[in-house]
Amino acid sequence: MAEMPTSSEDFATLPVSIPPLPSYPVQATHYLYLRRNAPRIATANDSRCLFLANVPVDSTEPHFRALFANLVGAGRFESITFEQDRKVAKTSHEPAQAERLAKMHKKRKREDEELQHKREEAAAELPDTWTRQLHRSGSSAVALLADEKSVEAVLKAVRKLKKSKKYPVWGEGVKDKAPPLGSLWLKAHNKMSYPGNDVVQDVMDAYFTVFNRKEEEANQLAKRLRNEPDEDGFVTVTRGGRSAPANRDEAEEAKQRMLDKQKKKQDDMQDFYRFQLRERRKAEQADMLRRFDEDRKKVQAMKEKRGKFRPET
Amino acid sequence: MEANTAKRRKLGHSNGGLTLGSASSSSMGASGSSAYILETDELLEEAKISDYNKAFPGLSETLRQFKDVIESLDDHEPLPISDVSASFEKTNRVAIPYPDPKPRKDSPYKLAFAKPTQVNVVGSYAFQTMIRTQAAPSVDMIVVMPASLFQEKDYRDYRYFYKRAYYLAYISAGLRRKFGTMDFSYSNLGGNVLLPILSVCPKNKSSKQDSADCAVRIIPNAPEGCFPTAKLSATSNAVRHTNPQDTGDSKDTKMPTPFYNATLKAESLFTSFLRLLHNSQKTCPAFQDACILGRIWLQQRGFGADSATGGFGHFHWAVLMALLLQTGGRKGEPTLSPSLHATQLFKATLQFLASANLHKKAVVLGQPTPEPEAIRQPLPVLYDSSRGINILSNMTLWSASLLTEQAKWSLSAINGNPRDQFDPLFIVKVNQPLQMFDLLLRVKIPVSRKDTRLDDCRGFLWSFCDTLYRTLKKALGERAQLIHIEVPKTTSWPVTATSSRAKTESLQVGIIVDPAKASQARDFGPPYEQKKEAAKYQEFWGEKAELWQFPDGNIVESLDWTQFAPFGFSGICEALVRYILKLRLELSDSDIEFYGQDPSRIISLSPTDKTAFDKARKAFAMFEKDVRDLNDLPLQVKQIAPIAPELRYASVRIPDVDMRRRVSRPIDAIVSFEMSGKWPENIAAIQRMKVAMLLKIGSSFEESNDAVKTHLGLENVDRNTQNLAFLDIVYDTGFCFRLRVHSDLEETLLDRQAKDKTLERHDRTDAADLVTSLKQTYTNLPLQNQTISTFCTRFPELSSSIRLTKRWFSSHRLSNHFDEALIEWFVLQAFLHPYPWTTPSSAVMGFLRTLLLLARWDWRDEPLIIDPQEALSSSQRIGITTRLDAWRKIDPNMNRTTLFVATSHDVTGIAYTQGISKVVATRMTSLARAACKAVKEKDLELDIKSLFLSPLRDYDVVIHLAPKVIKSVQQDDGTKQSLFKNLSGQGRKEAPPLLEEPVELLLKRLNAIYPSPLLFFNGGAEDNIIAALWNPQLHSRTFTVNMPCSFKPVDQDGDMFELNRDAVLAEIARVGGDLVEKIDVKGGD
Repeated sequence: MAEMPTSSEDFATLPVSIPPLPSYPVQATHYLYLRRNAPRIATANDSRCLFLANVPVDSTEPHFRALFANLVGAGRFESITFEQDRKVAKTSHEPAQAERLAKMHKKRKREDEELQHKREEAAAELPDTWTRQLHRSGSSAVALLADEKSVEAVLKAVRKLKKSKKYPVWGEGVKDKAPPLGSLWLKAHNKMSYPGNDVVQDVMDAYFTVFNRKEEEANQLAKRLRNEPDEDGFVTVTRGGRSAPANRDEAEEAKQRMLDKQKKKQDDMQDFYRFQLRERRKAEQADMLRRFDEDRKKVQAMKEKRGKFRPET
Repeated sequence: MEANTAKRRKLGHSNGGLTLGSASSSSMGASGSSAYILETDELLEEAKISDYNKAFPGLSETLRQFKDVIESLDDHEPLPISDVSASFEKTNRVAIPYPDPKPRKDSPYKLAFAKPTQVNVVGSYAFQTMIRTQAAPSVDMIVVMPASLFQEKDYRDYRYFYKRAYYLAYISAGLRRKFGTMDFSYSNLGGNVLLPILSVCPKNKSSKQDSADCAVRIIPNAPEGCFPTAKLSATSNAVRHTNPQDTGDSKDTKMPTPFYNATLKAESLFTSFLRLLHNSQKTCPAFQDACILGRIWLQQRGFGADSATGGFGHFHWAVLMALLLQTGGRKGEPTLSPSLHATQLFKATLQFLASANLHKKAVVLGQPTPEPEAIRQPLPVLYDSSRGINILSNMTLWSASLLTEQAKWSLSAINGNPRDQFDPLFIVKVNQPLQMFDLLLRVKIPVSRKDTRLDDCRGFLWSFCDTLYRTLKKALGERAQLIHIEVPKTTSWPVTATSSRAKTESLQVGIIVDPAKASQARDFGPPYEQKKEAAKYQEFWGEKAELWQFPDGNIVESLDWTQFAPFGFSGICEALVRYILKLRLELSDSDIEFYGQDPSRIISLSPTDKTAFDKARKAFAMFEKDVRDLNDLPLQVKQIAPIAPELRYASVRIPDVDMRRRVSRPIDAIVSFEMSGKWPENIAAIQRMKVAMLLKIGSSFEESNDAVKTHLGLENVDRNTQNLAFLDIVYDTGFCFRLRVHSDLEETLLDRQAKDKTLERHDRTDAADLVTSLKQTYTNLPLQNQTISTFCTRFPELSSSIRLTKRWFSSHRLSNHFDEALIEWFVLQAFLHPYPWTTPSSAVMGFLRTLLLLARWDWRDEPLIIDPQEALSSSQRIGITTRLDAWRKIDPNMNRTTLFVATSHDVTGIAYTQGISKVVATRMTSLARAACKAVKEKDLELDIKSLFLSPLRDYDVVIHLAPKVIKSVQQDDGTKQSLFKNLSGQGRKEAPPLLEEPVELLLKRLNAIYPSPLLFFNGGAEDNIIAALWNPQLHSRTFTVNMPCSFKPVDQDGDMFELNRDAVLAEIARVGGDLVEKIDVKGGD
C-alpha cells in the first residue's frame, strides 16, 4: 500500500444505504471513506483521483459509475482500480537464465518490438474463470474522475450529505450492467473453468512461443557476454561453456557421493581410540540421566495440572 | 604388566560408570520407561490414605467400642431353633437372616450363643491399602465364633449357616441396644446368599467429610479346622434333602455342591489368609503398593468381590499376589520376587492372569497337587493347595474370561508405546459397556422357577445366567470373542427383614464380536457322516439345522442366516440370539431387548459398500493402465497415484455411478513423470508446462480410446505460482478422474524461495505455505491412500468407522476445517491404540473410541503421533515433541498452530492441521467430551443419533441456502436439458463434470473475502446451512486505511470505528443472491 495509515480527519465519510433483500430484510448502511489520492510515489493523474477505503465486496465499475452519477451527475467518472487489480501478480515469466543475465546487463529495447511482444504476451494469458470478481471486505480502490473539479465536487457533495441525510442507494441504476451474482454467477464459473481444450492449447502455444524466444535471446546474450569484456575488462562468467553444464541430477548425485564418502570416513574412525569409546558411553549415560530428568519434569508438570492422577469414575 | 593393569583400571573405571548408569535404569524398572514408573508413584501418593486416623476420625474408637460390646454379650444355652427364632425376633425386633431354604419348624437343631474367641479388624483398613477414590469405604471386622457352638455334622444341610445367621442376629441386637443412633443393615458377603453380614454406619448422612460414611461390616466366621476337609472337596455333596418331597432320591444326593463346600471351607480360613497377607507384607516391601495398584486397576474395570461384579476383588488380588510370592512357577518356585518394585509386581501378576487361562482350565498353586478330578467343578478354579480351597469360587465363567481379556489388553498396553502405559491402566474408566461391547442386549429374567435344586445354593438367578452364558457361547461360537453378563447387584436390607426384597428384572449381556466371522451368513456344523455329532447339533439347534449339500460335495448340517445378511453382523447375531434363546430357554422376543446402535440410520452403511469401493478401485487401476499405455507422451510416466478418499475406502458417500447424474464426482489422482531436465526453471512457466502436459495426455487419450472424453479445467488462474489446471477424464462407464501433474522441480524452486533471505518476508512465507501444500498433495496423500487402504483390509471395521466419524464432523459443521485425511488418521489411531480395550470390532465402537481419543487428547501439550508401521525411532519421537514445544514457545496463543499431528510420513506435524483455528479445535474437543460423557452416563439408553444432532443456537449467524437453487447449479452443465428424461443421459459424456459442489465454492469465496470478521462452519456438500461466528477479537478501533473488514463509525464524529455487521450480512446476501434463502442472526428476530 502506498498510503500511510492516517487519521480519520483526512477522510470524508460517505454513507451508502443498502436496500433490504428478501433473504436479509434489514436496512443497512455501508460507510465508504474517501479523500484525494496522494500516493507516496506521485503519478500524473493523482490530482483527478479519489482514494476510496472500505469498498463493498461486490463493487464493480458500474456500481461506482452510478454512485458518482448520483452524487455529482453523469459524466464525471472515468474508471476505477481496485486494490487487488493494482496488486497484479508480479511473478516473473522470464527463464531463469534470462533473469540472471538481466541483473548484469540492461538490454535496450526497441519500441515496435516491445509492442509486438506485448501483444504476444497478452495472447498467452489464460482466460478468466469468474464473470465478476469479489473484493476483500474492507479493501480500497482508486477512482479516476474526469478532472480536478470533479474531485472537488464529489467531496463537497459528500459533505452536504451529512446534513441532508439523503444517502445514495447502493446498486441503484446499475441494472444489468454488472454481471449477476448468486447461482448464475456460480454456474458461469463452472462453465468458464472449462474453456475447452483447444482454447487452452492455443494459449499454451502462444505462451511457449514467447518463453522460448526469451530463452533463445538469453542464450544469445550469454554467448555474447562470454566473449565480451565489460568496460573494466572483466569477462562475465555465464552458464554454458565449452563443456555442457552439469545436469541437476548429476550434481545431486555427486553431492550424495561426497557425503557418503565423508560419512564412511567418519564411521571408520569411530570407536577406534579408547577415549572415543569412553566419551560415547559417557554421552549415553548423560543422555539417559537427562531423559530421566525430563520425564520427571513432565510428570511434575502434569501433577501441577492436577487431577491427572485421579482415576476416572 | 604394569601398563596392563593401568589399562584395566581405566577400563574398569569406565565399566564402573556404566554399571552406575544401568543400576539407575534398573531401579526405574525393566521396561526402562521412567515416566510410567514416576506416574505410578504419583498415583500411589495421590490414592493412598496417609493418615487413617485423620481420614476416618473417631473410627478406631468406634471399632473398640464395638469389640467391647460384642465381647460382653451374654452367653445362652442351646435352645431349639423354632423356639429361639420366634422369641428372639419378637423381643428384639431384629430378623434372623436365615438363607433359603429357611429352617423347618420341626428342625431338631439347637441354637446357642457363646463369647467369640476373637474379634479382629481385618481387610484393607488393617493393611492400610484403602484408596481415596473408593466408592463406599468400609472396615471389615471379623468375629470368630467359638468351636463349642458347632458339631461335626454341622457342615451338612445349611446347619452351619443357620447357626451363623442366628449368631449374627444376636450380635446385631446387642449392638443395636447400645448404638441406637447408627444405621444397621444386612447384606450378603460377596453377593453370596449363604453369608449375610451386618453393616453399621453412622445415621446422619450429612457428608461434611467424605470419611464420615465409612461403614463397619461385621462378619462372623468359623474357627479354624472346624469342618472335615475331606467332606468338602469340590466333588462331594453336602446338601442332602433340599426338597422334602423326594428325599432319598439317590441321583440328587450325588450332585456335588462345590460352591456350598467352598463357601463353608472359606469360613474357617479367614485367619489363615490373614496370616498369609501379613507375612507377605512383612517379607515384600512393595506388596502394599502393588495391592493398591491392583485395587485401582480392578476398580477401573468394575471388578469387585461381589459375585455380581465378577467375584474378584482386591482381597483376591492380594491373596493371588501373596501366593505367587511363594509359588506359582513351573516347578513350584515363586513367580514373584519380594525385591521387585510395585509396578513390576503388578505387571507380573497381570501376566499371570493373562496367561493362566482361568476360564478354560483349573490352575493349582502350591503343593501337593491334587487330583485333577478332585477339583473339577463348573467354576473357574484357582486352587490354593496349602489351604485346599478354590479362591475363585465366587467368580463366574464369564467374569473369569473377562478378567483374562482385561489382563491381556492391559498387558499389551504396558508392553506398547510408553505413552499408552499409564492412562489406560489406571486412569481410564474401562467398564463402559458402549465402549467395550459391539452388541448389547437386555434379557428379562423369567418368573417360572424350576430346577432350583441344581443351582448349588447360589440362587435361581445364577443358574439362569449360567445356562444363558453356555447357550450363547455355544450358539455364537467363533462369532463372539467375548460374552459378558452383567448381573444386578444384591442390595442391603434393614435388620428388621429376613432377606433382600429387591427383585431384579433384567440382565445385561454384552458381546464383543469377531468382525471377520460375525457376519458370516451361514454356519457349518458337523458332516452328515458323523452321526452322533450331527444328531447333537440337530438337537441343539432344533429345526433351524438343515442338511445341505455344498458344491464341493460335502453334506453337512448347516444354519442359514442369509435373509439377515443385509443388516450386517448385528442383524445376523440378533436373529441368531433370539432364535436360540427362544428354543433353548423359552424366552420370547419381548423378553429380549437389543440395544443395537445401528449406524445405518446415520449414514448408509451396508455390507455391500466394500464392493462399491472395490469397483472404483478397479476403475482406477484400469485408468492407470490406460495412462501408462499412452506411448506418445514426451516424458515417461513414473507414477499415477490416487489421492481421493473414494479410493481408500474412506469417503462418506460410496463412489457409485449414478446414471441420472452427469458423471460421478471426479476422483482425484496425480501423475508424476521421470526426472527430466526439460522442465523450465521458472515456477510460472512450470505451471504452464504442466498444463501443456495435461493437454497432451488429453489429446492422446481421446485418440487412443473412444470411450473417453477429456476436459481441461482451470483453477487458481489469478495466481501464477499455483497449480493452474487439471484434466478431467470421463469414461463412458461414468467414472471420472481428475488428474494433476506433479513436478519436483517446482518444489525445489519454491523451497529455494522460502529459504532465500534476500526476498521479502511475506514472499518467503507464501513460498513456504505453497511447499507445505505441495508436499501434502503430492507426497503425503498418495502415501495416505496406501496406508489407509492397507489398514482397511486389515481391520474390517475401519472403513465404516472412518465414514461414521467423518459424518460426525460434518454434522457438527466442522468438516470445512478438518481435512478428511486428518479424520482418517484419528480413527486409525483409535484402532492402533485401543488400550485399555481391544481393537474395535464394529463401526460404532470404532467411532466412539475415536471420540474418546479426541476427548482425552490435550493438544495444548501433547502431539498426536500416528505411526502405523512403527517406523519412527525414539529419537524421532522426541524430535516431534521438541518441535511441538518450539511451536508453543513461538506462538503461545496458538494463532497459527493448534493441533499437532505427526505421522511417520510427515514428522512436521502441521501438514494436516493447517487452518484449524483454536476456536475450532476447542469446539472439537468439547463436542467429543460431551459425546463421551453421554456415552458414559446414558449407557444403554443412549440414542446414537443424538450424538449427531447439532443445534444452531450456538452460532451468531446462520445462513440458510436454498436447496432447489443449489440443485439447479449442480445439474446445470452448460448444455440444454432435454425435455425427455430418457434422452438427458445421452450428452453426459460430452459435458464436463461438476467443477466443485456449489456450497463449497460459495464458502471458499466467503472465506476469501471475510478472512477476519467471520468464522464459517459448514458440513460439506450435503449441508444447506452455513453457520458463522463473529470474531470477538475485532474490537472497535481508530481509523486506518487498511481495515481488516467493513467498519462503521461508532458515533457521529468519534474517532472510533466498529465492525459494520449489518452491512457485512447484507453483502453476503447480495453475493449469495438467489442461493441464500434466509440469514438468521442470533438475538435478532
